[in-house]
Amino acid sequence: MSRKLLAQTILVGFITAIMSTGCHHGGGAGANPSGGSGSESSVPGIGPGGGGEQGVGVRPMVGAEGLPEHGQFAAVLFDYDSARIRPSEDSKLEAVAAYLKANPGKLVIEGHCDERGTAEYNRALGERRALAARDALVKLGVDASRMSTISYGKDRPVDPGHDETAWAKNRRCEFVVVSQ
Amino acid sequence: MEKSWRTFIRLTIGAARVLAVGALLGSSVFRVDAQVEVVKGKHSFGVSGFSGDAAIAGQVTDVLKNDLRLSGYFSLAPVSSAEYVQSGSVRGDHNGIVVECMVMQQATKKVALSKAYQGSAQDLRRVVHKLSDDIVQTLSGQRGIAQTKIAFVWSHNGAKELAVMDYDGYNVHQLTYDRSISVRPRWSPDGRKIVYTSYKNVFPDVLEVDLYTGQRRRLASYPGLNSGAVFSPDGLSIALTLSKDGNPELYTMSEQGTDLRRLTHTRAGESSPTWSPDGRAIAYVSDESGVPQIWQINKDGGSPLRLTVSPSYNTEPDWSHPPANSDMKPMLAVTSRVGGKFQIGVYQSGSGVVSPVAADGADNADPSWSPDGRHLVFTKTLHWRPELYLLDVVTGEQVQLPTVEGGASEPAWGP
Repeated sequence: MSRKLLAQTILVGFITAIMSTGCHHGGGAGANPSGGSGSESSVPGIGPGGGGEQGVGVRPMVGAEGLPEHGQFAAVLFDYDSARIRPSEDSKLEAVAAYLKANPGKLVIEGHCDERGTAEYNRALGERRALAARDALVKLGVDASRMSTISYGKDRPVDPGHDETAWAKNRRCEFVVVSQ
Repeated sequence: MEKSWRTFIRLTIGAARVLAVGALLGSSVFRVDAQVEVVKGKHSFGVSGFSGDAAIAGQVTDVLKNDLRLSGYFSLAPVSSAEYVQSGSVRGDHNGIVVECMVMQQATKKVALSKAYQGSAQDLRRVVHKLSDDIVQTLSGQRGIAQTKIAFVWSHNGAKELAVMDYDGYNVHQLTYDRSISVRPRWSPDGRKIVYTSYKNVFPDVLEVDLYTGQRRRLASYPGLNSGAVFSPDGLSIALTLSKDGNPELYTMSEQGTDLRRLTHTRAGESSPTWSPDGRAIAYVSDESGVPQIWQINKDGGSPLRLTVSPSYNTEPDWSHPPANSDMKPMLAVTSRVGGKFQIGVYQSGSGVVSPVAADGADNADPSWSPDGRHLVFTKTLHWRPELYLLDVVTGEQVQLPTVEGGASEPAWGP
């Protein structure tokens, strides 16, 4: 990378970090999605903050309307009770990596479970699925700081059915590109 | 509430208390006798009802009977043959309602309870719940649950919102209106606040709502998962699950959200913490052994200790905190998966084994203990629809709570 490009990248990264941190205090980016519950205060020091956070990237700025449309990328699917990336799913991850290496933006990786497990454990399992996908993308050359994870556990199925066909579709990671 | 029954006990056990019971028995005066024997096991109880305003009396009687039945200490029986008999009167005026009630041990004619209660007409259920708890305390020596609340997740209009209801399923009160996902509620020990996981800002954060003021504040919003927040018994700390350091791990923080400390360091996922009654240890789920099992760790960290071995899949623990003078000992309720179905069990300390208490072919999961340490509320899913049930672990009886349109899950029994 040329020095000028490196300097620009660092500058953009620095500005992004400042903007993310700044927007994180006091209720998050954008307007409060729905009223009626009073204002919300943040405890100082809570949140991604400055340096020292390892592993998962800083949250991207997402406005009141929420994440943009899904469906740009095929969902990566998982076996029951498992967060292991099956070899059959590698090509899907390669497609995501190829896009991110050619385009700017940040990636939100969603982790999901089928309806059969318990609620809170499934939030952790969904998160492990998202992190497994993230780790795979890092190995494929995507910068970890561009990616963040959201686990929905079993609360956002894509198929409302109650059979193995539906469950297999629901055990998944989805990939959403956000502009900042 | 607590103060008034303590006062009542003092007066009862002290000098004999004399109370006029008005219209029901003319000008008769009754003594409340000290030394009523504490009831162990189920005893028969006859409800003769209340004289006075018929509409009020009918409602009061219904609530009282339901409370006595749910307590687990009584079986309702005809007045003529019951061991304990209730009588009383009600009246309503512009100030509200007054309920007078007497409970007598039929064989000895000893009066166990003779008391008047008052409140506004809208508070009728609350007034009767207080009476019911006094009856339970007086006759069993144990704390009642009739005045407690249960928080839960209400699936509603495509969203998941938090709600609170009376322990018997009445008076459902919605807490969040975010049209998002609000889940995993847990109460502060003083019953004033609830911490929960909210997706209203897109990412899963731990929020806290003050039930008295409606104020909300964000306690944890690190990158990744922020969930499973649960207050310590002294209310000063919160244990929770964060994935910010690479995968879901157990942490503690102050109830302000400061002083974050990491407890676990594994390649596996940890989740679902619950505190021991003395606040020194935390039980939680880890799949370090390959499948979810219940582990325990000191609140300051250190070597995790595996608790459960059998059945082969154990998750969603809840540790009871019965009062010091209770007949119930602290117990760890667990959700086990057996043959693809979920069941509730109690961990047999030191054995590695979880013994079932609610295993009936439905999916029974997510137990939460009542503050008396005798009852559980849990989610039963039949035909893919979750409902809340109560379980008396002493008798094994399950009771379905009134259904909530859309479905109810992830209950948390308040203090």
